[in-house]
Amino acid sequence: MLLWIAFSLMTAAAILAVLWPLRAGASAPAASAAQADLAVYRDQLAEIERDRESGLIGPAEGEAARAEVARRILRATAEAEAGRVTACGADLRRRAVAVIALLGVPLLASGLYFTLGSPLYPPQPLAQRLEARPDQSDIAILIRKVEGHLEANPDDGRGYEVVAPIYARIGRLDDAVRAWSNAIRLLGSNAQRQTGLGEALVAQSGGVVTAEAKAAFQAALAQAPDDPKARYFLGLAAEQDGQPAEAARLWSALAAASPPDAPWQGLLRESLARVGAPAPAVAPGQGSGQGAGPGAADVAAAGSLSPEERQQMVRGMVQRLSDRLAQDGDDLDGWLRLMRAWNVLGEADKAKAAAADARTHFAKDDGALGRIDTLARELGLGS
Amino acid sequence: MNPEIGHYALVLSLAVAILMTVIPIWGARSGDEALMRVGSTLALVLAGFVSLAFAALVSAYVQSDFSVLNVVENSHSAKPLLYRITGTWGNHEGSMLLWVLVLAVFGALVALFGTNLPARLKANVLGVQGSIAVAFLLFILLTSNPFTRVVPPPAEGNDLNPILQDIGLAIHPPLLYLGYVGFSITFAFAVAALIEGRIDAAWARWVRPWALAAWGFLTLGIAMGSYWAYYELGWGGWWFWDPVENASLMPWFAGTALIHSAVVMEKRDALKVWTVLLAILAFSLSLLGTFLVRSGVLTSVHAFATDPSRGVFILGILIFFIGGSLALYALRAPTLRQGGIFAPVSREGALVLNNLLLTAAAAAVLVGTLYPLALEAFNGEKITVGPPYFNLTVGALMLPVVFAMPFGPLLAWKRGDLAGAAQRMMAAFGLAIVAGALALWAQGGGPLLAPFGMGLAVFVVIGAAVEIVERAGFGRLPAATAFARLRGLPRSAFGGALAHAGIGVCLFGIIAETSWNAERITGVKVGGSFEVGGYELTLDRLEPRNGPNYRDLVGVFSVRKGGVDAGTIESAKRLFTARNMPTTEAGIRTIGFSQLYVSVGDELPGGAVGVRAYWKPFVTLIWIGALIMALGGVLSLSDRRLRVGAPKPAKKPKARPGPDADPAAPVPAE
Amino acid sequence: MTRKGRRLLLISGALGVLAVAAGLVLFALSDTIVFFRSPSEIAAERTAPGTRLRLGGLVKDGSVVKSDNTHVRFVVTDGGGDLAVNYVGLLPDLFREGQGVIAEGTMAPDGTFTADSVLAKHDENYMPKEVADALKKQGVWKEGEGKP
Repeated sequence: MLLWIAFSLMTAAAILAVLWPLRAGASAPAASAAQADLAVYRDQLAEIERDRESGLIGPAEGEAARAEVARRILRATAEAEAGRVTACGADLRRRAVAVIALLGVPLLASGLYFTLGSPLYPPQPLAQRLEARPDQSDIAILIRKVEGHLEANPDDGRGYEVVAPIYARIGRLDDAVRAWSNAIRLLGSNAQRQTGLGEALVAQSGGVVTAEAKAAFQAALAQAPDDPKARYFLGLAAEQDGQPAEAARLWSALAAASPPDAPWQGLLRESLARVGAPAPAVAPGQGSGQGAGPGAADVAAAGSLSPEERQQMVRGMVQRLSDRLAQDGDDLDGWLRLMRAWNVLGEADKAKAAAADARTHFAKDDGALGRIDTLARELGLGS
Repeated sequence: MNPEIGHYALVLSLAVAILMTVIPIWGARSGDEALMRVGSTLALVLAGFVSLAFAALVSAYVQSDFSVLNVVENSHSAKPLLYRITGTWGNHEGSMLLWVLVLAVFGALVALFGTNLPARLKANVLGVQGSIAVAFLLFILLTSNPFTRVVPPPAEGNDLNPILQDIGLAIHPPLLYLGYVGFSITFAFAVAALIEGRIDAAWARWVRPWALAAWGFLTLGIAMGSYWAYYELGWGGWWFWDPVENASLMPWFAGTALIHSAVVMEKRDALKVWTVLLAILAFSLSLLGTFLVRSGVLTSVHAFATDPSRGVFILGILIFFIGGSLALYALRAPTLRQGGIFAPVSREGALVLNNLLLTAAAAAVLVGTLYPLALEAFNGEKITVGPPYFNLTVGALMLPVVFAMPFGPLLAWKRGDLAGAAQRMMAAFGLAIVAGALALWAQGGGPLLAPFGMGLAVFVVIGAAVEIVERAGFGRLPAATAFARLRGLPRSAFGGALAHAGIGVCLFGIIAETSWNAERITGVKVGGSFEVGGYELTLDRLEPRNGPNYRDLVGVFSVRKGGVDAGTIESAKRLFTARNMPTTEAGIRTIGFSQLYVSVGDELPGGAVGVRAYWKPFVTLIWIGALIMALGGVLSLSDRRLRVGAPKPAKKPKARPGPDADPAAPVPAE
Repeated sequence: MTRKGRRLLLISGALGVLAVAAGLVLFALSDTIVFFRSPSEIAAERTAPGTRLRLGGLVKDGSVVKSDNTHVRFVVTDGGGDLAVNYVGLLPDLFREGQGVIAEGTMAPDGTFTADSVLAKHDENYMPKEVADALKKQGVWKEGEGKP
């Protein structure tokens, strides 16, 4: 409310700046140009006189200067006589100006402001955000507080463990990897930490299970042989290494070992279908199209969702990425991620379309084209 | 303060600026005084709104409001308060807002203090100022809005580029902008005169102080920037002929020409058309400077961000104002009345020579700066025009300017006596030869550049003193009279002489530093020593230190000369943690006017650390000279008397054959 | 001297000064400009020893060799060609392997490059424009990947 009052007052001040000088009876006649000139010349004459008295210029020079100024005065006087014109039509003009100010200023200012500004978004001074109660703080501030605590106590493994999944969820994947590594270093290895690290690594490399990530999942399995996440990702690793049979074996075993209503059954069914293996007998999920998409960490975070919700979430994420790139296509990595994601979801046509769009967008950038083509070949999309 | 208040104030400023462009000029065309008066109130309100917007941005920086994108990108909560404030203009968006703030405040000053201006002139001037404000406000709002918000706000900012975290940044850009934008006032006066097709007598009275003020700020800004680069970049260089340095030097040359031709115009009513052109050129070159810095078309230290849409927008502004004003000039200049006539050898003639050479120097710098761009556009060839080009052209063009400088003020208006002036310069000339000989002896023979340059510098300084002595009449009038006359001399006379002396001092520093500096690059271990410029430096220890947002590795050197302790120098390799970016903090010890300059580099294999050390004789004189110049400007500015140049009478004076008299007046009267 | 004659003298004097200035500019330009080249261009042109150049590209990973007397050797690459550079002095703060660099100096007879000045980026987002263009030509560097 206060903001709107301030805006109104400011607008009023701008309008008043025009109306005030226009009000009737305010017109004291201003000096005409020639009159102003004459005033200057008279001052100059007085100045010459002063200089002569103080001896700065000789009498002869003074006389010459006086003569010159006198010539200027004569000319200015002639102009002053000739140049008297009176303004006419003043009333109409002033009314027009007043109307322009009264309408134009609020219209232009509000029109432009409402397209550019965010009047409902309050200021966010840092001190105030830091003082807010934890349940009202934004996540960035909570993380910052944990970070502050960790800076003071760099050996507090619990702190890293708390903040690591949050990093992963908000997409600060490098930090997530570092935090999980620290937690493992300080608190020792366990299945949960190793899978967390592995997932963060997978997300960091855009869905690819790297050797490092594979090692983490294997370490997890060494401590908890039936950890479903680790088993799933090792299957994915096998698939990406070009061993679909091995992947099918791992996933089938996981599906068989899991309760039939486990939330990941749908994902497994989908994955098995992708590598051409028969679906396990116990598979109540009906999801179709699932995999390591734009962020494997998100997929894992979605573990608690129903298969439909999960599928929708993944597709939504890919679609959002696609929409964003359609708007602003300068993000080459984004395009590459999109191609990979559609391919993983089994939408080869969409992946091809994304590759084509990316090529048009980077038509002038040979380096980018090279990368797009390489990936397209890898994914078997043809060029 | 809510950033949205600032945002709305900025939008409102645009509306006000549009009205300020239209209404007063309409009033001036139709002769309606009420409409002309609207210009003044609008100028005041505009300054108020832009100040409000700027204050809102500063407040967002001080409070680390990370919901404002500009703060996120350029600030960090761990940064000291001073650098949080200066960070406001340490980036593209904020610095453009500062630019407009200076513009609006200058416009308000014209509105406030211009009561004795002819109404039409004032209205036109404010209208032109308004149009400049419209262009830059549109630019800010549409391409570089500092009030863009972020949802959700991050918890920490990206920090300011470390080399900008320095007290130099607090001062350098505002000074430079005061200079650049100050020329917008003289530009507005020039365009107003062209619109009206007449130059009022009050015109020169107004243009001279504004040109002087802008020139003074620009001088200080350039000197400040030079010193900042000198100690902050850690290479020991004080001028790099970087495109952005050139961009500030060009308006400085044009502005220097302008303050001189404005004197001719004020005192002698001559060179009017030329002065108008110079006023247009000075601001055009300032705009070009802004364009070069902001658009990123040239590789430079100062290219904050490069965004093609910005470049095109600024190019549009440039074409509109420069092209428009020059077209108006071509159209209207012939209708302006030419002023007084003068002989080639006269004060006016000397000033014309000064103007020609200064303008040619500005043009040479312009060509050197833009030639690579033109060539690349033409055939794709990438080249660099480096220091040798600029040293040669600017040096050759400035040499006659500097040499003729002491003679100018000794010549009389309208027609002068060169032989007489030369005679009075004999003392300065003699001292200059002595100084040159001393310099030659000091360097023990060798190249003649240093002795010649130092002789010239001494000649200029002494010449400036001779001017004052001569004008007071010492040596030919009784001492008491001379003292009385000295007191009676206008302050502008002292100001001019001081500024000229400043040039000499600066020149002395430049010549001494370039000819006599000593450099030593070496690896040194703790406890090891090396020698530079006759000083022996020992690396006592290397110690880590922590700052608020950086970590230092400090090298502590003890300095000895001839075995005698001469203090210590600390130089650091500094790592800014937020951006993981290293900088070099040079250690500088001032000894007399000279400096010992040490910067530590990377650690080398074998435990040694790389060290670069310089002995820079008389280097501080470069900046002291610039300070003296600016001081001269201030002194001249404080002289608000009316000024009329008394020409020499045509007839031979009978009374007293004073020095101003010319017994062999070769030029007949008009 | 007449009024006209005096004006003529002034104008011819002015023109004289401008002519001298223009001549000076042309002379200096023909004599002092330095061309920018990338390693692959130098290889293609077989640049003669002693030619003064600005060399731009990326510092090749693992190529920097420092000795204890501040003599540095490194290789500048643009993806299409490599060139070894010798330099005596302190490297700029932001000189890093894999980052953009500009070296000014001359070609040595042995086909290496002797630099007398080395410039790196001014901050972590900034790539010298010439270097960026040269690398784009070779397809090594992409927009938006400037960050280390």
